[in-house]
Amino acid sequence: MQPSLREDYLEAIQQFSEKNGHSPHFAELAVILGKPESVVRSDMEDLVSSGDASIFPGGVITLTGQGKQTGESVIKKHETLQCFLSEILGMDTIAASDEACTLEHTVSDETIDRLGQLIVKRDGPRQHHWNGKGKEKGAAPCAVEDYDCECPSISDCAEGENVIIHCIHGRACAKRLLDLGMVPGERASIKRKLSNGALVVQVKGCDVALSPEIASAIGVERSS
Amino acid sequence: MKIALLGNPGAGKSLIFNQLTGLGIEVNRYPGSSVCLECGNVCYKKEKIEIVDLPGIYSLDGSSEEEILVRKFLEQGGADVIVAVLDATKLERNLYLFTQVTEFSPKLIAVVNMIDEAERQGLIIDVGELSSLLGVPVLLTAASEGREIDRILPLALGSARVATLRVPYDHHIEAALNSLEKTLRAPRYKSLLALQGTGDDRILLDAAGAVAHEIELRHRMSVRQIIATNRHNLSRKIAAAAVRQGDRKKTFDLDSLLTRVIPGVPILITILFFLLLSVFVIGSWMQELIVQTFTTYIILPFTALELPPLAERIGFSVLIALEAGLGIAFPFILTFYIGLSLLEDTGYMTRAAFLADRAMHRLGLHGEAIIPMVIGFGCTVPAVMSLRILKTRREQTIAAFLISMVPCSARTVVIAGIVAAFVGIFWAFSIYVIVFILIILTAVILSRITPGEQFGMIVEMSALRRPQARLVLAKSWLRIKEFLFIAMPLLIITSIGLGLLQYYGVTDAFEELLAPVTVTLLGLPEYASTALLFGIFRKELAFETLAVLSGTADLGSVMTAGQLYTFAIVSVLFIPCISTIAVLYRQLGARIAILISVYTVFLGLTIGAIINLLIT
Repeated sequence: MQPSLREDYLEAIQQFSEKNGHSPHFAELAVILGKPESVVRSDMEDLVSSGDASIFPGGVITLTGQGKQTGESVIKKHETLQCFLSEILGMDTIAASDEACTLEHTVSDETIDRLGQLIVKRDGPRQHHWNGKGKEKGAAPCAVEDYDCECPSISDCAEGENVIIHCIHGRACAKRLLDLGMVPGERASIKRKLSNGALVVQVKGCDVALSPEIASAIGVERSS
Repeated sequence: MKIALLGNPGAGKSLIFNQLTGLGIEVNRYPGSSVCLECGNVCYKKEKIEIVDLPGIYSLDGSSEEEILVRKFLEQGGADVIVAVLDATKLERNLYLFTQVTEFSPKLIAVVNMIDEAERQGLIIDVGELSSLLGVPVLLTAASEGREIDRILPLALGSARVATLRVPYDHHIEAALNSLEKTLRAPRYKSLLALQGTGDDRILLDAAGAVAHEIELRHRMSVRQIIATNRHNLSRKIAAAAVRQGDRKKTFDLDSLLTRVIPGVPILITILFFLLLSVFVIGSWMQELIVQTFTTYIILPFTALELPPLAERIGFSVLIALEAGLGIAFPFILTFYIGLSLLEDTGYMTRAAFLADRAMHRLGLHGEAIIPMVIGFGCTVPAVMSLRILKTRREQTIAAFLISMVPCSARTVVIAGIVAAFVGIFWAFSIYVIVFILIILTAVILSRITPGEQFGMIVEMSALRRPQARLVLAKSWLRIKEFLFIAMPLLIITSIGLGLLQYYGVTDAFEELLAPVTVTLLGLPEYASTALLFGIFRKELAFETLAVLSGTADLGSVMTAGQLYTFAIVSVLFIPCISTIAVLYRQLGARIAILISVYTVFLGLTIGAIINLLIT
């Protein structure tokens, strides 16, 4: 079963129970989700085997502790997301009317679209590899970030050059670099470069030594 | 009343701490962590004030042990007042951490330290302006000269307050913070952490993760980058308003020598060579003094008591263990620590890490690993403890194997006492060569088979400065205390255990059992196995036990040069000492501790057998 489908079910069951004070039947659930009862029945079997729900005689569905927890979490997640989207929608509309800028309208349209999806289809965002889950699995700490760019890396620059930092690939490595002030837009100068590509970079008045592989993850623009 | 010092590494926290507390320092291990917290008490206006020196960090939302510890400390309101120590010469970068501290809303004062250095660089800091921007009292100090340090306590106790400073985040981040507050009632600092994927509240993390994803889609930038950039921008604004650059005196930049391959690398090698040489010369002299005094005034009078055999055996074992601990701890390890602290306090170690990065890459490590490796020449126990600075488990594992093989000062004693004395100085050096070749081979193989990713080096170069004798001694003393705390109880217990085994004749059976290995495989006398066994709890005891069991200190008369050479190399490679195993277990877990023990036993026996074959 798809994680997002599982979340949809758990959310629907939990929401029904909170609203009506009792657990839903197959038929009720099928109406809420807008699916044929036969599909709901077969999906519920998956949820029972994954330990999220149990089915009582008469087709009454109750959530287990685990299922209830996930359901509550999904509800909270969607509430927050809805709240967030409405807030930025407000901000964006103000910005748009102030500047009468069509670009802002498209941003707003996108937001309205997302908000609409969320409310109407009750379709939460797909599970993306966020929440630091990659780290738990021992995934590569220097994995290249989704938002790639094609600027030269700081390791292509020579000793004595001045640069403006453009982007940093890789999340885990990026953290310490960000803390040391290597954020996009920051000016830096290369104080020392060894033949293997190790660098001493001066940023915010501090000298920072970098390994070649770290340096190659920092995208820059050359400046005078 | 409790006051905590918080700041970036190298902002001068330790020096301030030492000047505030004097020498009444105790080290507390924070529950569930291997990071040490230094605490000290002072009396001010008849009130007892506890001062805590938190570990130096760059940020509050990272995942290093130090960062987690300080974060928890702030969350739990661990201190009544936080003294934020800022480096005057790097005020902008130091303010980044300050902006994060304010989010936890503790009562604060800001101490801008190293104002003497800032003055030399022509930086002028406007205290009034800085204080009004931060919303807390600000004090300019120069800890190295002791300037204004006495005003810290009165200010912290009298006028500390919650900062009015508030980071203006990007409007999407602010919207996310508002939403999380509305739906989950999460405080601002917790939501900020959760947006970056940190925290232990699953529901908050899920909700924040979904929102963060939305933000990232819009910005094409990670939430971490957005948050960090907002904080840095605020820090820049404050620094720009409060700091003025006056005339700068031109000074000679030592780094033009230290960080270049030539002459940097020769300088590095010379410094390390002299460090080890002086530790060895001073150490052997002090050890002889301590062991002689101990034997004459304690062990001999004790044996003269003629206690019942069992009691005598146990008492003797305890005394031998004490002698072993003192004989190695003070002469070698303390001397080494003093040298190391000197190097650290001058700021040289960061240069060494930069230069060593290339060589260390070949071993599957990176520059920072040179620090544990160098410490390993002194003693393996603190070297393993310092593995914390390496960021990935992979590097820690590889480095742990290598450190366990680096000849520590105790193993140097074995090489000098057996091989240099009875076989020849050239042969003594050949053992070092063999060990280094094995270390490199091990590293090459391990770097291929150890799972996990390599994390490169990101090290801030600390400013070069003159070390303070008092601080160097205090630091060395704290470290030696930690060593004694781990090693001493173990030495005593193992010594009693071995003593009892000997008393009940188990060692004889043991020698017989191992005879095929000792006699046939290694070509050594039968009693050598007991000597090797004793080496487990202090390496140079292998040498001393051998002398006792063979009945003469002139080992050359009872064993051939080949046998002595084989014995020395086996005991140098063979299984790390018991204290090392214990600290490996604590730092890296049982699996690695066992693997390293088994591997080194295997290595010692194999090399011993090969040498035996070559000789005969």
